[in-house]
Amino acid sequence: MNAIALATRLEATPLSRPEPLIAIEGLQVRFDNVVAIEDLSFAVGRGEFISLLGPSGCGKSTLLKAIARLVPLARGRIVLRDPNLRIGFMFQKPLLLPWRTALDNALLPVEIQLGGSVVDPTDQSRAHRMLEMVGLADFARAYPHQLSGGMQQRVALARALMSDPDILLLDEPFGALDELTREVLNEELIRIWQSKDTRLHTVMMVTHSIPEAVTMSDRVIVLTDRPARLVEDVSVDCPRPRTPDDPDAVSVMKRIRSMVRGRR
Amino acid sequence: MRRRIQAPLLFALLTLAAWQAIVTVANIPEYLLPAPSAIFANIDRTLAVQLAVTFVEAVIGFLIASTLAFGCAIMFVRFHTLEEGLFPIAIAVKTTPIVAVAPLLVIWLGTGWWSKIVAVILICFFPVLVNAVKGLKAADAEYRELFQTLGASRAQEFRKLRIPFCLPYLFSALKISSSLAIVGAIVGEFVGATQGLGYLIMVSSAHLETATLFAAIAAAALAGIILFYLIGWTEQRVIFWHSGNME
Repeated sequence: MNAIALATRLEATPLSRPEPLIAIEGLQVRFDNVVAIEDLSFAVGRGEFISLLGPSGCGKSTLLKAIARLVPLARGRIVLRDPNLRIGFMFQKPLLLPWRTALDNALLPVEIQLGGSVVDPTDQSRAHRMLEMVGLADFARAYPHQLSGGMQQRVALARALMSDPDILLLDEPFGALDELTREVLNEELIRIWQSKDTRLHTVMMVTHSIPEAVTMSDRVIVLTDRPARLVEDVSVDCPRPRTPDDPDAVSVMKRIRSMVRGRR
Repeated sequence: MRRRIQAPLLFALLTLAAWQAIVTVANIPEYLLPAPSAIFANIDRTLAVQLAVTFVEAVIGFLIASTLAFGCAIMFVRFHTLEEGLFPIAIAVKTTPIVAVAPLLVIWLGTGWWSKIVAVILICFFPVLVNAVKGLKAADAEYRELFQTLGASRAQEFRKLRIPFCLPYLFSALKISSSLAIVGAIVGEFVGATQGLGYLIMVSSAHLETATLFAAIAAAALAGIILFYLIGWTEQRVIFWHSGNME
């Protein structure tokens, strides 16, 4: 990470809360008789990196799906600042189409937006740039089965960026990968979030790793076990770039850990 | 690759030689079991013509059946009510033995090409339908969620997701129905025909021309094998990405 990127990043997030991009108000989501999310309210500010932290199966993924309108709301509402807000979604699995090359997989959102299958050279070169951004410049012509799990997830990230989202929702995006690959990809995600090459300035990520949440996020939304309720909305004010060993970060991790433990 | 051909070829030749020897030594009459040499003597232009007739009937019926079945499968998956209403009828058609229906086809369509082609269609339709329906539903729910988040229409979801995912299922069904296609054509010819391998089998068995009968049986097997490998060859090129075909 370079110092200039860090400086611009700090400028872009003043200490006061940024304008809200998404406001979640009194949200309840239920599947038949099971309540997945109960009375949840918080706002997502423009430019923020937010982590949703909670035990497995607590309804974090459901919250992302509710924002992406993949599941219906039982009560409450999700207000988008701009009705044309573009939402990108990245799943735990890469979900690449095995008959398409990395480049063609990245182009899928564009093809779908165009309706027809004609993709112009501008989009082609943009897809190349996105693959470059995720470190796969040399693998544009490779098929998914020729790529490792980490590389496949990079292609999925490039594809999510190709839909040119204002906000990216990440559902444990690197959860299925090994620890080392996961750390590298987390760092690259931060780099892409901070770069000015995309419209993407806001990220919301589901995780159940406290160190991951604290080292990456501006705010950590701590949730209870199912149904998901808000425990606390923790601001992480440590300077970037961070490592899991920074004393400030460690103290925030401790605080969150005691919060999570205290609930049991 | 060469070894893969050499070994089976060697065993086939050994079997034929043993067969020839047993028939000659035991002096078995030709109408019971003809020697391979007598069978080979029956491979001529007439046999080739009959083989071509049956093969063309089978291929036309097979292509029509596959297209219809795939179209039906898409409608079934797109409109669930259609699947609920028509699947039982499809099963009824499938469980009716083709041999029982073939005479009716000859009454309706005559002894020409069409009664055979329809018999082939009836026998090939069901396996393709069942597999294609299964294949069109094979893409994970998560893939469909991905397409939803990208704002894909139903048509796009079919074109870019469901149909490609269905191809491996479709090709295994096509392999099954390719051998059935030859059966359908021959059954159609049994009931009423003036040419084709089924006709040749009926006539030569009635005249106890067992060597001709054997040659016709071998030709029928050959037709099935050719069709099967044509489909396998196409499959490897179309779904190169499928785990079964990866290098």
